[in-house]
Amino acid sequence: MDDLSKSSMKFFSDQQLCFADILLPHEVQARIQVAVLNFLKILSFPDPAISDLPLINRKSSNSRVSEGILTDVSWIFLSHSFCSRSLMKANATKAFIRVWKVMEMCFEFLTQEKRVTQRELFYKLLCDSPHYFSSQLQVNRTIQDVVALLRCSRYSLGIMASSKGLVAGRILLQEPNQEAVDCSACGSSGYAISGDLNLLESLIMKTDARYIVVVEKHAIFQRLAEDHVFNQIPSILLTAKGYPDIATRFLLHRMSRAFPDLPILALVDWNPAGLAILSTYKFGSIGMGLEAYRYACNVKWLGLRGDDLQLIPQQSLAPLKPRDLQIARSLISSTTLQDNYRQELAVMMQSGQRAEIEALYFNGYDYLGKYLAKKIVQANYI
Amino acid sequence: MDISSVQKLCIHLISSAVQRCRLSEGLCRLSVVLKSSPPIIRVSISDTGTGSCLEEFQDLKCNREGIGTEKWDGLLSIKTTSISDNKIYHYHLNLRGSVSARRLTRLPSIPKNDAKFSGTEVCLSISETIDALLKDIKHYFQKMLILKIPSVAAELVIERGDASGLRCENVFLPNECSPLNFSSSNVERLKSGLEEYVLKHRNSLNNKCDSCFCSREKLKISSGVASSMESHRSPGLIVEAVIAISELSESLCFRSSGNKTEVLHFKDFSPSSVSIASLNALTSIDWRSYGLTLVSAVDQVDHALIEWESLPPYLHIDMVIHCYHKQYPGKYKYQPDRHLIKKGVKLALDDLKEKHTGLLLSAHAVKICSYAPDLASSIAGIILSSNDLKFRSKCSTLLELSQSQAIGKQTVEDRIKEKIISVIETNDRKPEKIKEAAPFLFEDDRPQDLDPADLYLEEHAGGDNVFSFPD
Repeated sequence: MDDLSKSSMKFFSDQQLCFADILLPHEVQARIQVAVLNFLKILSFPDPAISDLPLINRKSSNSRVSEGILTDVSWIFLSHSFCSRSLMKANATKAFIRVWKVMEMCFEFLTQEKRVTQRELFYKLLCDSPHYFSSQLQVNRTIQDVVALLRCSRYSLGIMASSKGLVAGRILLQEPNQEAVDCSACGSSGYAISGDLNLLESLIMKTDARYIVVVEKHAIFQRLAEDHVFNQIPSILLTAKGYPDIATRFLLHRMSRAFPDLPILALVDWNPAGLAILSTYKFGSIGMGLEAYRYACNVKWLGLRGDDLQLIPQQSLAPLKPRDLQIARSLISSTTLQDNYRQELAVMMQSGQRAEIEALYFNGYDYLGKYLAKKIVQANYI
Repeated sequence: MDISSVQKLCIHLISSAVQRCRLSEGLCRLSVVLKSSPPIIRVSISDTGTGSCLEEFQDLKCNREGIGTEKWDGLLSIKTTSISDNKIYHYHLNLRGSVSARRLTRLPSIPKNDAKFSGTEVCLSISETIDALLKDIKHYFQKMLILKIPSVAAELVIERGDASGLRCENVFLPNECSPLNFSSSNVERLKSGLEEYVLKHRNSLNNKCDSCFCSREKLKISSGVASSMESHRSPGLIVEAVIAISELSESLCFRSSGNKTEVLHFKDFSPSSVSIASLNALTSIDWRSYGLTLVSAVDQVDHALIEWESLPPYLHIDMVIHCYHKQYPGKYKYQPDRHLIKKGVKLALDDLKEKHTGLLLSAHAVKICSYAPDLASSIAGIILSSNDLKFRSKCSTLLELSQSQAIGKQTVEDRIKEKIISVIETNDRKPEKIKEAAPFLFEDDRPQDLDPADLYLEEHAGGDNVFSFPD
């Protein structure tokens, strides 16, 4: 799986990189077994102790940026700073035990060679140990702890995240031993991206498109698909219905390697959240920093941007909410943001306003397609 | 010192006699004889301790508000001799009246004829009901038994001068239940004394209660001694604290006193009242690190009463604190400070924790122990669902279990749980709380670095799929 980005010259950042291996089930089980043996060993020492769990820190303080020299793909990765979970710390005891419980469950699934979704895992844990798991978010975070502890990808643990991604447009996708699916004929709902990374890896892709358009929102995706915009400008439409999940990013990354000449353009709302979504496709995330760096793509910002605001009526601008400001602050502090993005963000913050893509409908329902076409042709993307 | 009642006067005289006995080497006898010919009681307190000096008695102040003249005329008849004296001195001391009138009347001395002995006899007549006096004296002696002062044998003789001419005796001997030899230290005696006291259900029985204390395990006792250095300004002080914890399955004979502990106080080998320093010391101890929560500590005149927030129903705690000067006698007014008392009590608590695993676990440790079964269960689950025989056998070795195939999950789980709990308990006993090395990075509900994913989710939660969690 040698991709372009790996072959670029990057000496020092290599040493700092911490990553999660993609392993086979028995290899993951071996790592879990080592964890158990070490725990028992330390418990049986002459001066026994209950060992802490060293987890790679998933905070911005431990994140680094790798800027490809020969390619134009940069990504965020995590380095070797650790934090630990300990049984003895009063408020962290449950978190400690949660990690072990998820490891136990994953171990069972791996033995049975089953794959489960995060949702299924949550319900299973809820039934098994209701005192420890109270929300899906908690389960997801614990899974990330296990990834950080064992340094293996979530998929290797046997956990699939259900994907929300959809593909439409001028691409043929064929699962092995199945009929090829023509995504331009899928209607407005498009082809649903599976959460199973192995399956996505095995898809055979053929296209005659010239662009890949990543769309933030489902409604916009549907509109564009219905209007067959991908036929007017030969393109592939992709959406994750919001914040991108790993499977969608995985597929996008595959496409970018399979079809390296296709520019990838993003169509997001004009607000900090939209930019955050774009950044995740572009650089990866810290939350899943041990894995996400693999799927960074060179995504360009098509719209909505500051200079598109003249196309929409004043009344469609809404004030920025506190959450928007939180996201904006988090983006500004990240080192990956390039200058022109920063400028856009600064304009957003100064104006205190946000706008959604739907505002373009003011000019007519078919305006969106025209807007897209015009911008692409003018290569008006950054 | 001020005497406010005849009972207090008698107790004070007896106490002085005890101190004199303690100071002499060799066995001493202390007799308290009450001859009752109503309404008068003739009290005679005699001991074979060192001779007394007159200042002891002349220092007694007896004001009109205290003992009324109808109760006591203020006269003391004193006979005393030291071992080196060749006669027995006899005085009458009148403690009432003005200074000039408070005169010593020397009476003719009694020759000893080369006999070598020492002792004192103090007599006085009071007008009081015998029962009131008796109660206090008996109570005093019972308390004194806790100290187990060796070499003092005390007897209380009551002669009722009524028609029946009854005479009864109570003898208080220090070594009843457990043998102690003369070389035992003071604190050993105190321990033994408190032990007996508790075994007899706080002196409500004459002998130890075998039904409640059927095994040695039921009563756990420990002590702590803290001492301060002697200097030219302050005398050396010693604080001894003894703590007894009894675990009774059912309080058959003794009505459970609930969540309260009486802390008995002794000062210079005599029962004493509770000092402010002591109360402060008790309230300032960090009881939480011993798994206890103190609600209040109150002075109840002859003992301090501690109320705990909640004790397990079968658990009872008794405590005794003894502060005394290294050198005696002395007219030192120096009071032990609360730091010394606190140190003594803490040493006793730590000693208890050290000797008995699982006792007085801090609240923190108890909480963590409650999670041990779940952790053990997870780890056992991993071990048993593995098909790798080498792995399982390595685990069995580490857990000191037999290598046979048929080890059940419960056995493995129990063994892991045992080990985890033992580590927690050991850690809890370490006197110095080891500061956590790593800073507190992940608390249960504290959000991590603002992950835009989570924020986006919150905003768009109402969208297509309510549970559309990113990644």
